[in-house]
Amino acid sequence: MTTNMNTAKDEVIVIKDVHLWYGEFEALKGVSLTVNRGDVIVLLGPSGSGKSTFIRAINRLEEHGAGEIIVNGIPLTHDVRDIAEIRREVGMVFQQFNLFPHLTIMENITLAPINVRKWSREKAEETALKWLTRVGIPEQAHKYPGQLSGGQQQRVAIARTLAMEPEVLLFDEPTSALDPEMVKEVLDVMSDLAKEGYTILAVTHEMGFARGVADRIIFMDYGEILEEDEPGEFFDNPKNDRLKLFLSQILHH
Amino acid sequence: MTAITESLTQRFEKSVGGRFNWRYFMQDNITGSWILTVWVIALTAATIYVTVSQLAVSPTTTIIVLVAWVVGIGFAISSGLFKKRTSVGMWLHVNLMSSISNILLTLILTLIVVAGVRNFWSWGVVNATFSPEMTSIEDRNPDGATWGVIPAAWDLLMIGRLDRESMPRVQMSLAFVVVMGVITLVTTKVGLWKRNEYLRKGLLGIWAASPIVLYILLAGVPDPDPFINIQTLIAGEVAIMAVYGLLFWQKTVRFSIPSLIGWIVIWPISYVIWQAIGQSKLFPPINVATWGGLMLTMIIASSVIILSFPLGLVLALGRRSEVRGIPWWIIWPVSIVATIWALATSTTEILPTAQNTIQKILAFWPILILAIAYILQKNYSGNVIAAASTAFIEFIRGVPLITLLFMAIIMAPFFLADGVILPGVYAVIVGYAIFSAAYMAELIRGGLQALPQGQYEAADSLGLNTLQKMRFIILPQALRVVIPGIVGQFIGSFKSSSLVAIVGLFELLGIVRIIVANPDWLGLRLELYVFAGAIYFTGSFIMSWYSRRLEVKLGVGQR
Repeated sequence: MTTNMNTAKDEVIVIKDVHLWYGEFEALKGVSLTVNRGDVIVLLGPSGSGKSTFIRAINRLEEHGAGEIIVNGIPLTHDVRDIAEIRREVGMVFQQFNLFPHLTIMENITLAPINVRKWSREKAEETALKWLTRVGIPEQAHKYPGQLSGGQQQRVAIARTLAMEPEVLLFDEPTSALDPEMVKEVLDVMSDLAKEGYTILAVTHEMGFARGVADRIIFMDYGEILEEDEPGEFFDNPKNDRLKLFLSQILHH
Repeated sequence: MTAITESLTQRFEKSVGGRFNWRYFMQDNITGSWILTVWVIALTAATIYVTVSQLAVSPTTTIIVLVAWVVGIGFAISSGLFKKRTSVGMWLHVNLMSSISNILLTLILTLIVVAGVRNFWSWGVVNATFSPEMTSIEDRNPDGATWGVIPAAWDLLMIGRLDRESMPRVQMSLAFVVVMGVITLVTTKVGLWKRNEYLRKGLLGIWAASPIVLYILLAGVPDPDPFINIQTLIAGEVAIMAVYGLLFWQKTVRFSIPSLIGWIVIWPISYVIWQAIGQSKLFPPINVATWGGLMLTMIIASSVIILSFPLGLVLALGRRSEVRGIPWWIIWPVSIVATIWALATSTTEILPTAQNTIQKILAFWPILILAIAYILQKNYSGNVIAAASTAFIEFIRGVPLITLLFMAIIMAPFFLADGVILPGVYAVIVGYAIFSAAYMAELIRGGLQALPQGQYEAADSLGLNTLQKMRFIILPQALRVVIPGIVGQFIGSFKSSSLVAIVGLFELLGIVRIIVANPDWLGLRLELYVFAGAIYFTGSFIMSWYSRRLEVKLGVGQR
């Protein structure tokens, strides 16, 4: 974290005019965004607006067709080594958790540090336990994912991502698959991380989180960024017509 | 008519406390649909026919079966309708007597099974002779089996036409496999396998080396002349170092002095050991064309099973490959080796006879290979790996196994240098393994596709490379799903190995056919086929039993 403090204002992710096609369909139509170290950015938008596609393009789960994505100074190209380097620095938490069901919680978390970061098993397990304690479930280390509740699984997924010590955290609708009473436990963890200075990009429908924690909120629709503002202005004084419609639909029902 | 049925119904319903509804009973069992009616009538007719004919053949047994059947019906009815529930009655009611057609099926199947067992018993045990000396036609009982033919033809059945002097070596290989199997089983049972890493690694090492051990025992090592062939030694060393270089280049192996020394000395040491075994004349070569009987069946089946799995895995992964273009780590090694080879052979041949500068330049045509490789690598973006794998799988699956076996035997010489003769067994094993691998590939692909996309994405997003992703995440889950299918394929390979008889190899069934044609044993067929059937059944049963155990252990069906 100390390095984060020293270089508080440098750019971690630079995205310039990115286009992405699924066959004939253009999912992203020239998106640009700069993320500074420590930024917490929330992406909002109706379903199919391209927000998930957008953050998945950052670690190459989707391949962009045109434009530039630069993470930590490394341009994202076809080069496998660059992709590997970027994936090491960018952690992702998924809607469906995507834990590995055949491995214990401990193995889930230590697998990547041991094999990608080449840590010793002892160091990896120590770190894993530290993160499990942080997300509040150290006692579950030797169970299998199937034995945990949805909220616990998602917290393990967050611990697994953090154990790699990434520069950037991507959250792809982390609470959408959870039962309502488990949403809070996951949001609490995310808020803590945001306060600690992690760089976060989150796609979420949790307006409370967006308003309370985000530095900036981005509204996307039809594959474009339509509005980008700090939370107060974004919710209280929206300028774009589609954003006004969107907010009226989600806030008044 | 209606009045009678109604009064009957009422009287019956009163007797069982109103729980029985005559109309529902008729609908469920007979009148529900016209198919059901026809089925019950036909079944009734068939049951009566079988019962009457069995009564004529063996009245006592049939009457016993009939009485047992009636008593069983009584039990089932009393358990199903009245309050007298007995466990026997409930079991009968649920499993054998749940409807009229099931009651009839129970009787007809019991009669058929009883008749079969009784006839086999009288043929195979009561009237049979067991002595190997009593196989000639005068000594045989025409109503019984002559089991003596099996011990009499034992050696043939086991090892075929193989030299009888080699029998101890066959027994040694069998002992090796059995001892290893028992040790592995026992250490697993008592938990040593999990606790002791050295023991586990040692046993796995011996298992990994077991094909070589068995090859030395069953095929032998020729006496070398001269003891060390410098050319072979150097060629092998160069090949090994090339593989090491490629692996190091691909970061599959990490560089360290001990590992480098290991790689350097492995070839000379194994070469010298091999030659020493040859010179000691402990295991002189055996003509593999004389392999036969059960031994050949086991050799073919286990080689095919062992080879087809990794080959199928590679094909399945290849078919799902998403690599665009030709990977540089394939095209460059291949094209560089091809260029050097062409320079060494073609250029050295053309250059001395070249008459002018143009011809001299043309003699260096192999350089063009590199140019083509460069152009292909830069500009070609089709999915070669997936296309090639798919084409290979579909071609092999589109060809009958027999055709493939013939092709293997007849076409093998096309791929070999002049003067090299590949024994038919090896050609058949390779052809058969390729055939089996194509099916294996599709099975494994099914398992790969059954995994949610999220597993791939999670592995990718954590930064695992393709090899690690497959090794730790994808394959453990995908293979677990397809264990039943893979074992089914193994069993199929084991049983279909009898097809090699068609291309002139005398495995178990081929030998049986020869024995059947032997004038001394003319007419003794059933005995031998029953014996062969029992062996195939045992092998298949062991495999499916092990697969079920493995499924339980790995928790198939749990996520």
